[in-house]
Amino acid sequence: MSQPREHLLRRRGPTSQLSRRQFLRASAGAALAVPTLSSILAACTKPGTEGTGGTGANGGAYPLARPDNPVTLPLHDDIPAIADNLPIEKGATLQIFNWVDYMWKKVISDFCEEFNVDYEWTTFNNMSEAIQKMNSGQVADVFFPTPDQMSKLTYGKLLQPLNHSYLPNLEANMWPTFQNPFYDQGWRYTVPYVTYSTGVAYRRDVVSDDEASAQGWDLIWNPTYKGKVGIYDDSRETLAMAMLRKGWTDLNTGDQGAIDQAEQDLAELVDLVDVRTTINGVYAKLPDGVYDVHQAWSGDIIGAQWYLNDLDTPGTTDVLGYWFPEDNQGPIFNDCITIPASAEHPVLAHAFLNFMLDEKHAFDNFTWNGYQPPLTSMDADALIQSNLGQYAPNTGPGSVPPSLPLAVVRKEMFAGGDFLFLGELSAEDEMKWQTAYQDFLAGA
Amino acid sequence: MSDTETRPTRSRREERRLARQYARQQGAWYPRWFWPSFAAPAILWMVVFFAASFYVILSVAFGTEDFFRNPLPVFQPWWWDFGTLTEQLHKIFGGVYQTVYLRTFAYVAIASVLCLLIGYPIAYFVARYGGRRKALFLVLLIMPFWISYLMRMFAWSSLLEVDGYVNDLLTFLNVLSKPYGWLEGKGITVVLGLVYGYVPYLILPLYGQLDRIDTSLLEAGRDLGASPARTFWRVTLPLSKPGILAGLIIVTLPMFGDYYTNNLLSQSPRTTMIGNLIDFTYANTGLAAQGASLVLTVAVLLIVPMVWYLRYTAKAAEAK
Repeated sequence: MSQPREHLLRRRGPTSQLSRRQFLRASAGAALAVPTLSSILAACTKPGTEGTGGTGANGGAYPLARPDNPVTLPLHDDIPAIADNLPIEKGATLQIFNWVDYMWKKVISDFCEEFNVDYEWTTFNNMSEAIQKMNSGQVADVFFPTPDQMSKLTYGKLLQPLNHSYLPNLEANMWPTFQNPFYDQGWRYTVPYVTYSTGVAYRRDVVSDDEASAQGWDLIWNPTYKGKVGIYDDSRETLAMAMLRKGWTDLNTGDQGAIDQAEQDLAELVDLVDVRTTINGVYAKLPDGVYDVHQAWSGDIIGAQWYLNDLDTPGTTDVLGYWFPEDNQGPIFNDCITIPASAEHPVLAHAFLNFMLDEKHAFDNFTWNGYQPPLTSMDADALIQSNLGQYAPNTGPGSVPPSLPLAVVRKEMFAGGDFLFLGELSAEDEMKWQTAYQDFLAGA
Repeated sequence: MSDTETRPTRSRREERRLARQYARQQGAWYPRWFWPSFAAPAILWMVVFFAASFYVILSVAFGTEDFFRNPLPVFQPWWWDFGTLTEQLHKIFGGVYQTVYLRTFAYVAIASVLCLLIGYPIAYFVARYGGRRKALFLVLLIMPFWISYLMRMFAWSSLLEVDGYVNDLLTFLNVLSKPYGWLEGKGITVVLGLVYGYVPYLILPLYGQLDRIDTSLLEAGRDLGASPARTFWRVTLPLSKPGILAGLIIVTLPMFGDYYTNNLLSQSPRTTMIGNLIDFTYANTGLAAQGASLVLTVAVLLIVPMVWYLRYTAKAAEAK
């Protein structure tokens, strides 16, 4: 096993659990980050009435992308895409702005070796923090946002449009869905990074596959597993799960009744199963037996194998289970790679995007990260280890343990636009979700 | 200006000149600003990192948000909007946050009392019976600070697991009949975590106070016929009161804002503290004004014991 412990900090997800590991840094950052220079300058007039923020947060200034309402993101005259055939910046340092440990450093090193450059790795713990930093002048060449922020990011002029002539790998290697995604028609600003689904992870020594499939979302609400149940510390994911359990499939709803009902259902978990809200519960704690069932992103449960002991013993990973609705009635989505408007090395950044869209590199990254790139060449079935005896971590195909067939994201899941996902919300609706989750957290 | 008006000034200057000359001869003259200037670093520090920062919190709490729903502080009080604060106050008084506030008070109160019950005998022992090993004991007391608070909590989260050493020990000693789920969202674990994390902060000021007590006063107490217990009750305890109060203030204030103890040892909504509510607003877009408003409520709550403490120490100083 080459470097399992590196996974201690790996994650994706929109909350701040890990920042708590670095709480001193984070709290210092909070104190310093709040009064930005631009906001102090803006104090000449009443803030929020002029300038970039003129439309106001509640003005509904940006469209909300949905598969049946695809969005072509705006281009701005003052932020043009780079010209064709430019030479790559020499002796540059590629500045990467990403989630904490959401990428295999070896892949980045490979890139640096190939292009003879250095890299600098800066992280954020949630999109709120990332956007705040970007808006305060954080310089980055590549940035990894979630697609539910894309309208906001482009209308707010934080990203630059891509020049497709540098990115032949997208068309060559990626699923058709991502060659014209609904949140960015004509992929003006984004290329896909990895995909995931949200289901329920369980320990197969406690719950059998048949039981899991019979219970579905009710696994989380089952008092049999009291004290061993976790959900993500995330307002959208948790409330959406409660909605799905009751058969409500509009996961981007602003319906107060549906949101309140979901909040009540979550609140029920507190006494019913002693629920805990975590961010590392799936990949780090479930393998340890701290949790028996946990709401899970598919990439987390695939990554969980690195936390098991005796990984070289055949059958070790059999303890990991993952349920996702067979009828695709669960949230799926992807993350993106973009180039910020502030990029100092935009040509190099394009090269990096193309590099990450390359089959080998995307796959390498997958074997470390657990989150699956939407590669056409990746035969979903071949991803599942066929022979544990020959299984070697971090190398070659076969990185999904055989007990996790449902954790593989298939391109058919995205096809036709008839899938469930957590998309961008209006500020007003976002507040409804947040408030409901805060009420749940208060444990009143 | 007439001569009559300028003359007294001139003479005052003259007096000062003479005084300076005299002082120089004595080798002890400093300009008037010299001693007060020593306070400058502290004042600068307080202005930049407290007064100005606090004003920013006010400006965020009563401010607005930009296009990205990032906080847009409003620095002019005449534009302040108190809507968010009012909303939060409604939640605190009779709303969903009331439980969180009461819970936080309960946790902090219990944890502080436990800190005192554990810390006092230790401080007393080191001060009274430390003898030649006092320095060693002090180093041992300070030792927990060598490891970050966070790491110590991580250690506990491992020790307290169902199959961890704590359960092993307690079941071996028959204190528990079966392993207890310490980490499954239990208030008692959070309180014990707070006690463990903060008790050294209480011991040190308490030790300082106890160490300063003149032993002849204790001897006098005994000579006058008081039992050891009575001497402690009538002499030591009253004399150590300033140390107890200082220690309690030092541990209580950070406990009120603590969120990571809870995050690492519980993670259940059942044990959410005020700090967790504030932390959530930091991690999520568009809630900065809410977070800043909650910070203000905590600040107001903490000012009460602080003012009381300051009045107490002022009175104690007068009494001397």
